[in-house]
Amino acid sequence: MSLKKQDDMDHNAWLKSQDLTAIETAFLTTLIWLDKRLRIVDYLELLETMYYRANLQMPKSHTEQYDLDNKFWYWYPLYSLGSLSIIAYLLAAVSGAMLGFYYAPSTAGAAAQGDPTAAYDSMVMIMQDVQFGFMLRSIHRWAAQFMVAAVFLHMLRVYFTGAYKEPREVNWILGVVLIALTLLFGFSGYVLPWKQLSFWAAQIGVELALATPIVGEWAAQLLFGGFTLGQATLVRMYILHVFVLPFVVTALIAIHVGIVWVQGIAEPH
Amino acid sequence: MTDETTPMTDGGTDEEARTDGGPPATVPPDDETPTWSERKERSQGLAQLTYQYFERSRREDEDLRAESTYVERDVLGFPTWPHETIRNLAITSFFLGIILLVASILPSHFGDPANPGSTPAIILPDWYLYWSFGLLKLSPINPELAVLGGNIIVSNELYGLIAHGAIFGVITLVPFLNKGNARRPVEEPGWAALGVTGVILAITLAALAIQNFFPVPLELLFSLTFMLPIAGGVITYAVLKTMREGYMYDLNRRYYMLRPPK
Repeated sequence: MSLKKQDDMDHNAWLKSQDLTAIETAFLTTLIWLDKRLRIVDYLELLETMYYRANLQMPKSHTEQYDLDNKFWYWYPLYSLGSLSIIAYLLAAVSGAMLGFYYAPSTAGAAAQGDPTAAYDSMVMIMQDVQFGFMLRSIHRWAAQFMVAAVFLHMLRVYFTGAYKEPREVNWILGVVLIALTLLFGFSGYVLPWKQLSFWAAQIGVELALATPIVGEWAAQLLFGGFTLGQATLVRMYILHVFVLPFVVTALIAIHVGIVWVQGIAEPH
Repeated sequence: MTDETTPMTDGGTDEEARTDGGPPATVPPDDETPTWSERKERSQGLAQLTYQYFERSRREDEDLRAESTYVERDVLGFPTWPHETIRNLAITSFFLGIILLVASILPSHFGDPANPGSTPAIILPDWYLYWSFGLLKLSPINPELAVLGGNIIVSNELYGLIAHGAIFGVITLVPFLNKGNARRPVEEPGWAALGVTGVILAITLAALAIQNFFPVPLELLFSLTFMLPIAGGVITYAVLKTMREGYMYDLNRRYYMLRPPK
């Protein structure tokens, strides 16, 4: 397609000439904005007719168009960072599921302050008694570290190659959300062994939540199960880490990759 | 499909001379499938507006395709099998191998069990949250009001939270602030400089978070936290501006015919 902006179809002018209510205007503006980026019209039709009559054409590849075949191969690792973070995510999911067989999210069993709790004991048990458990926890931890690193580098690559520009704004925002959720993943996992550092990291979390005006106390209740740390905190972090976040993050990753699929890779050059 | 240049019986291709009315204006749909406009027409409300807009959208697509000089053809590229598959397998196994290697030589530690009664001397999250932890140590620049007798306006924790919000907000807004077709850092030195500033700021904030491990005086570290990113940004800007001319000249000529730089 020619790369000039086309003004023949000025949807916004059409919108203005329509004399619509505020609701209709808002609806149409949103619809047009999304359709410009995601071509909903094509996919809606696909849904209705249930087979591909839409114009799915393979474009001439960018490298071919600009004769870059032998000039950009050394950038390839930077373009595989998104894929690498998914690989690390899958590795963490598999090793995490296996850790979940042995881990107990409980603060019971501490006779006095500072004694090992059931959660801490189960971590020690995993590392000392379970066959391959020491390596398993190490793999889970390092997979998480690599995932976070890959996600950050992925964001930098997208930023410095301008790959977030129109029509990919939605995916950029989705990426920001995914980074935040990844960090939350890391944080909730950090709390689970119920070590000194886990406890005090969570303590900082509670203090931050309580410092927030209006929603602070509610957020502290929701995330940490109260204003002081204890059994409720650990269980909430556990459910967040092994139930809520996996579903949400996996779904968002699927949408993230799906949009890349629909819109195509941002041209590398 | 109807080919407009199909020779007619008299050898001519003049569309005006045809008696059968010429090719249809649009590609006819399959027999079973009703056309978009034949489908139940929504007659009211948002459904009708949606319908009207999609009609326009489809027409726009057709117009764009008709005007386009773009040649459709098969992609000549890297074959999926075996080349791309082998390459992806190689990258994946290499990456997994690195994770397993690091996991085996740097195992995770036990640490002391949680003790609500004794605060450890050093509290740290994982490395990827250092920048965030550093943002919570910005209390020296938390503004205070003289009318309140030098009291701070917001608590230091809330100040750190607001800093988080500001950073995430700016990052989210990037695609809406930076428009245009430019892709390479040399094409937009300002944005590249902003990016480098952000990266260095994340690193210096991380350093601020683990200040206990630095032999540097705290005040100096605090100043460096903000001076280094700015210096990095300025240097990046200067370097890219200098590179720009020579670099632009070398860029593929056809590329710039298609996409003039802003």
